[in-house]
Amino acid sequence: MISTIQRLLKVREVPVFLALVLVIVITGLANPRFFSISGVQDITLGVAVIAILAVAQSFVIVMRHIDLSVGSTIGFSAFLIGYESSKGAPLWWCVLSGLLLGMGVGVLNGFLVAYLKLPSLVVTLSSLYLVRGIFNEIAGGTTITNTDVPPFISFLGRNYLLGIPYLFIIAAVLMVIGGLVMRNLSWARDLYAIGSNPSASPLVGIPVARRTFTAFVITGGMAGLAGAILLARFNTAAANSGAGLELNVVAACVVGGVAIAGGLGTPYGAVIGAVLLQAITLALGALGVPQFWQQAVNGILLISAISLDRYLSSRVKPTQIMRVNA
Amino acid sequence: MSANTGSQKGPVLVLQDIVKSFGGVKALQGASLTLNAGEIHALMGENGAGKSTLLKTLAGVHKADSGNITLQGTEFVQGSTKLAREQGIAVIYQEPSLFPDLSLAENVFVGRQPVKGGRVDWSHMEAEAERLFKQLGMTLSPKTRARGLSIADQQIVEIAKALSINAKVIVMDEPTAALSSKEVDRLFAVARGLRDQGCAVVFVSHRLDEVYALCDRITVMRDGATVGSSHISQLDEPSLIKMMVGREISDLFPKIEVKPGEVVLSVRNLGREGQFKGINFDVRAGEIIALSGLVGAGRSEVVRAIFGIDKFDEGEVVLNRTKLESGNSAKAMRAGMALVPEDRRLQGLFMSSSIAKNSAITVLNRLTKGGLLRKASEIRTAEKWGKTLQLKYADIHDSVDRLSGGNQQKVVLAKWLATEPKLLIVDEPTRGIDVGTKSEVHRLLSQEAAQGMAIIMVSSELPEVLGMADRVLVMREGLLVGEYSRDKATPESVISTATGSIQTL
Repeated sequence: MISTIQRLLKVREVPVFLALVLVIVITGLANPRFFSISGVQDITLGVAVIAILAVAQSFVIVMRHIDLSVGSTIGFSAFLIGYESSKGAPLWWCVLSGLLLGMGVGVLNGFLVAYLKLPSLVVTLSSLYLVRGIFNEIAGGTTITNTDVPPFISFLGRNYLLGIPYLFIIAAVLMVIGGLVMRNLSWARDLYAIGSNPSASPLVGIPVARRTFTAFVITGGMAGLAGAILLARFNTAAANSGAGLELNVVAACVVGGVAIAGGLGTPYGAVIGAVLLQAITLALGALGVPQFWQQAVNGILLISAISLDRYLSSRVKPTQIMRVNA
Repeated sequence: MSANTGSQKGPVLVLQDIVKSFGGVKALQGASLTLNAGEIHALMGENGAGKSTLLKTLAGVHKADSGNITLQGTEFVQGSTKLAREQGIAVIYQEPSLFPDLSLAENVFVGRQPVKGGRVDWSHMEAEAERLFKQLGMTLSPKTRARGLSIADQQIVEIAKALSINAKVIVMDEPTAALSSKEVDRLFAVARGLRDQGCAVVFVSHRLDEVYALCDRITVMRDGATVGSSHISQLDEPSLIKMMVGREISDLFPKIEVKPGEVVLSVRNLGREGQFKGINFDVRAGEIIALSGLVGAGRSEVVRAIFGIDKFDEGEVVLNRTKLESGNSAKAMRAGMALVPEDRRLQGLFMSSSIAKNSAITVLNRLTKGGLLRKASEIRTAEKWGKTLQLKYADIHDSVDRLSGGNQQKVVLAKWLATEPKLLIVDEPTRGIDVGTKSEVHRLLSQEAAQGMAIIMVSSELPEVLGMADRVLVMREGLLVGEYSRDKATPESVISTATGSIQTL
């Protein structure tokens, strides 16, 4: 029993999960309305978009990379899906166009990072601006309104299955698929190896450039698909859609135990991190804390997450041995 | 020939007349090595003899310019670490590079995990790793993460990896350098087990006692070529050392005879936990002291502590009657000490700054007026030293990374000589620079000593040590174990003291 608990506590996702439970219980006791069905629905609905992006982001972060471009990609994709639909395109074509847009951005990022060896932070910051710029030029003052949104997507955004928002169910399914892929497919295990020790990876025969490229295309593609979710959530899209989401996503991953230094973390953790950040924001709101402090709390949470990581890894220093007994 | 399995005795690997150059430098010129199945083979030679280059060729890191490599009768495909491994060559480095965040089982199978139905077969992978660990006498669970593993255990993981690919040749490159005696015993047991299974094991070590305790045959390299190969029982220690050192120490070293002056530095009972202890010596004005010993013997650590980059736990350092504080390099500099570090790219230079800035950085307070740096005097200082050192540059404002290795080393020297130190410490002053520049650096050190500077030179190159030093201090495993005056220091005496076959102190 005790050893089972000890083993559980060693799983990276468990402390974040416990923190999440703690936040919900405390807030619920202070403000019982938080416990209501609508309170839970607020969290699950609000978190769906970030959760999906966080699952996608974990593929690049475990490789010791980052993809900041997702904020622009998701917005552009949401707009594109609505725009195609307003022109009378069928649903499958609308979603496919969003996916292809995202994969295109991923191909650009992946090529620059994997084959030209440019730092992903700068590459994806550039594509964040680049995609947003093109998006603004195309969208101009146009707004996608609820009449433009494909009816099925609109339906998903406003309905529930057994009280759970469809959008959250979609996010959960993607999380499980992402989790299974990263645990069980050998190319995904290579991503962890690359993040854990980049210089040793080619020596054991890992095709580092190809894996890096693939991961960026996956992240981009998922951000493109998430455009449909963003559209479903707000039933509207315009030139500023999705702006700033990229940093929330990175924050969710880090809080959820996806190590920014690479090699560690799972999509499950990333989603738990996203839910925790969302729950805290809503909890502080429910407790009447001013908005300024809500942001500050997120900052404190991030610093705690990386400090905890540093502390844990400093406790297992490699043993240094020297014979002084000639 | 392909039916030749590992358990059969006979040559499994033959390297013949391997030649390899880097730029203009010939690292290998006719190196040969024959390995039999079921033997432990020692590869010996001084630093720079070409052992590492030869082993890296075998590991697929380098590709030979000419020469043949035959593995079990078929030609060995060179130039890819992956292919080398698939052909049955495994290399265990002194410090393995595992994946710290992955489990031990995954580390054994990284890049080639067993797959069942498209998915990684974790239970098979962990069971297989467990079996290999047990065979190698390691009790850790294959589910443990590699982070924090001792070097000895990391090596065992690497050996398990070698076994899992059915390696026919297992190379151990100085595996014992960082192990405790107990861990060395375990490694030896493992190596003997591999031999008895029919593997050919290559063992590289500078410790002669280990070589004689473990190995069956021995091949000696010098200056990039193989000088001889023999059964271990037919080669005693003195002959082995003679084979390794070989050449006469030539007169490439323009040493000026100086009568030593007053004591400039005295080091008393200096110690630092886990690195060195009980270090005692004096350096007089005009003297060049060489600190010799094997890589990892603690030489660099001692000079770093003397200069104050690292703290020392016990003992004292006195420079010009000033007692220095542990870990206070600013005070050491003010008292007249300068240190030219071992890795000039990392510790000695600001690579993207100009030659002028690099040369003058140590004397900036002398060049400032009213708190402002006078650019003209910065350039004047740099040019003066550039001339003394015969520095070859296009423009004094060029960034340092555009200079050759030898000229970079001169800039490092310039920056410290500009402080006009009483005591200069140079750590591996000529590593990786060409012969011409080498002798210029030697000439310079000799001149400075003749004008009364005291110099401590850390060096792994025996000819340099014997050619330049007034006295040779030898360290082994954190202790000062030998001292030879210039006329008493011979290659044989220094090497055998450094490797532990003689102890004079």
